[in-house]
Amino acid sequence: MNDPLANASAFVLLLAITAYSTAGGVDFGAGIWDLFAGRGPQSRRPRELIDHAMAPVWEVNNVWLVLGIVLCWTGFPLLFQSVFAALYPLFTLALIGLILRGAFFAFRHIAADPRAHYAADLVFGLSSLLTPFFFAACLGAIASGRLAFDQMSVAFGLVSLAATAFSGASFLVGDARRYGFDDLVAYFRRRAILAGFVLITIGTLALGAIGLEAPALLWSMLAGVGLPFVLATMILTPLVMLLLWRRRYVWYRVLTVTGIGSMVFAWGFAQSPYLLPGQLTISQAAAPHSTQLLLLAVAAVLVLVIGPAMALLYYLDQRGALEPPEA
Amino acid sequence: MESMLVLAGEALLPSRIQMAFTLASHVLLVPLGVALPTLTLLMEGIGIWRKDPIALTIARRWSVVMAVQFAVGAVTGTILSFEFGILWPRMMGRFGAAFGLGFAIEGLAFFMEAIFISIYLYGWNRLRPRAHFLVGLTLPPAGLLGAFGVLSANAWMNTPGGVTIDSGRVVDVDVLQALFTRALGYEFWHFLIALYMTAGFVVASVYAVAWLRGRRDHYQRLAFAVPFTIAAALTPVQLLVGDLSARAIANDQPAKFAAVEITWTTRDHNPEVLGGYIDDSGEVHLGIAIPSLDSLLVGYSPNTVVRGLTSFAADSRPNTLEVNIVHLAFDVMVGLGSAGAALSAWFLWILLRRRRLPESRWFYRLAALSGIGSYVAVESGWITTEVGRQPWIVSGTLRVSDAVTDAPANFVWTSLIALVVIYALIAFFFVTLLIKLAERWRREDSGVAAAPEMGVPYGPRSVPGE
Repeated sequence: MNDPLANASAFVLLLAITAYSTAGGVDFGAGIWDLFAGRGPQSRRPRELIDHAMAPVWEVNNVWLVLGIVLCWTGFPLLFQSVFAALYPLFTLALIGLILRGAFFAFRHIAADPRAHYAADLVFGLSSLLTPFFFAACLGAIASGRLAFDQMSVAFGLVSLAATAFSGASFLVGDARRYGFDDLVAYFRRRAILAGFVLITIGTLALGAIGLEAPALLWSMLAGVGLPFVLATMILTPLVMLLLWRRRYVWYRVLTVTGIGSMVFAWGFAQSPYLLPGQLTISQAAAPHSTQLLLLAVAAVLVLVIGPAMALLYYLDQRGALEPPEA
Repeated sequence: MESMLVLAGEALLPSRIQMAFTLASHVLLVPLGVALPTLTLLMEGIGIWRKDPIALTIARRWSVVMAVQFAVGAVTGTILSFEFGILWPRMMGRFGAAFGLGFAIEGLAFFMEAIFISIYLYGWNRLRPRAHFLVGLTLPPAGLLGAFGVLSANAWMNTPGGVTIDSGRVVDVDVLQALFTRALGYEFWHFLIALYMTAGFVVASVYAVAWLRGRRDHYQRLAFAVPFTIAAALTPVQLLVGDLSARAIANDQPAKFAAVEITWTTRDHNPEVLGGYIDDSGEVHLGIAIPSLDSLLVGYSPNTVVRGLTSFAADSRPNTLEVNIVHLAFDVMVGLGSAGAALSAWFLWILLRRRRLPESRWFYRLAALSGIGSYVAVESGWITTEVGRQPWIVSGTLRVSDAVTDAPANFVWTSLIALVVIYALIAFFFVTLLIKLAERWRREDSGVAAAPEMGVPYGPRSVPGE
């Protein structure tokens, strides 16, 4: 049974997940590098850049998350119920990471005592690991169709950590370049390349895990609709690394985001028409047509009104137009 | 199977406490979240068109508070949306297609606010004044839309409609009917006015304290007068809307109304009991009973028959404890609203007759309390509508106990404790930050000024390494 409206809603849901994985991923990645910056005077400059890079956009990213969850419970109530009834511990851990991260990111701006500041850095960094890992683990548990925390969840979780670290470092290279901090460009360039190798290694192992746990999913990733996206990821990740290696600072951020986005698309398309492989298809879980229409209308308004506004914000931000005037 | 049912039952109490706690925390952020942008724009407008740099400074500082508050609200709001799945998965599975509609609209509004608040905050001095003001004009409608979405969802729980159910599953949704259920009209206007009143009183109360401490220049007077005037002007409107709402609830949600008025048996000449409580046998203790007033208020005649609690099955109406909570919360809300109305009358009398602000210390003492009073009133109103719906999560259709998660009780207790600790931390950070900001602004007013939004988390960037 093919249901174009429900398919369109499912695609919007996949877009929201992708947006959160890419935009949010850059933010979480910065948090991961904050954790690895260490302690002491040498950690001060990278940490300041990270602080600076993250400050304006993190709550905008939460918006993708809320949008995704609302789309899920309104458009696909049965999926939402099964996923949450089974995976509530994973979601709770991801959420706790999310609020701790937000709270301690704010706190380190107001902490005067150095020890309190260090504690805030630590909580902020650790929670930047917790949240992407457990959100991706939920996707892994969905992809296996078993809704359980098993090898697939761990594989998805680790891939997301490597991917966020990679995209975080890639964007921090851009931020460092914007201010002409050559030492930090070199610092994050090395880390981006390193994270790229880790991502390729873990990604390959994860494909193996998917093959063992959910062969049908691997099959449609390698020989079905998922293939173009798998290929895109496999080409773009090394390409970004190559660009950074050769110090050719063009397109690398767009390609990073496209690569990570393709990874999410590879999973999403490979398991279609299933929302829960082997158990629940898009049309089985879909809310009535009238509800789907309202959701698609909301999505259309988002694209029409908010797309340009978001683009303006990112543009102003990247162009430094929002910088304070020179003191 | 038996043991699973027992476990599900056990998770009910911590789940209800967790939902109540996180909602009660979030609702505190809503008044400033929805209404502060309007106050800020009004102040910015005064600054631009009357060429008053002080008004612009005030607007700029308020926009900082607005942004920080929005960031905290974004976190507590995200938690709430996940809790619907973590705590009440069966509610969402059954009714998400209808109940979720309002949230889809709220999601859109949240998105607009997040983006335009960022542009607005960073746009000070970087956009031309009128362009900046125009960017700001997107915020009040976004706030309205968000409030509409959430209240539409809540109204749906109180007076569900617009769904066709076949063998337990929603097979068709009439989108407009589901969004605009009977309760929406009064819930929306009553809450919206409450938000603007609360924001007005809360903001003004800060400057009332400053007045009491002897700071009475143009800055303080302007920052007090604008929000207080708005709140004072809305207060009589709220008395009217509140009255209409109560009468509508008597009709649409009779069990809730019986709890509000602690009416035990269906009768005419029903008294209005102020304060007091009811026991399991329907006996009312303490409290002041005004004969026939409730019947008069509901139907303009002492002969009006008002439904009592006993006209509902014992398992389909709030229990005695819940009834007393609802009754007390309602009385607190109405009492505080009336006190606010008296204070507003005092203010408006002097403003309109003498063309100046009040000069009595007592007025400013009460105005300083009006902020806290408004928050308490908002919480009380929310408790009235939520506890008054018990034991239903969807009135008359789905019980809270049937919607709750199968998670073990210990899991929910643990997450509840974790959330309480983290929320306490967030509240502490938030208040510390506000105090630091206030101190810094006061220093700046007596010396060199820096841009007010600098150095604030989520504020615009400072160049690192400087």
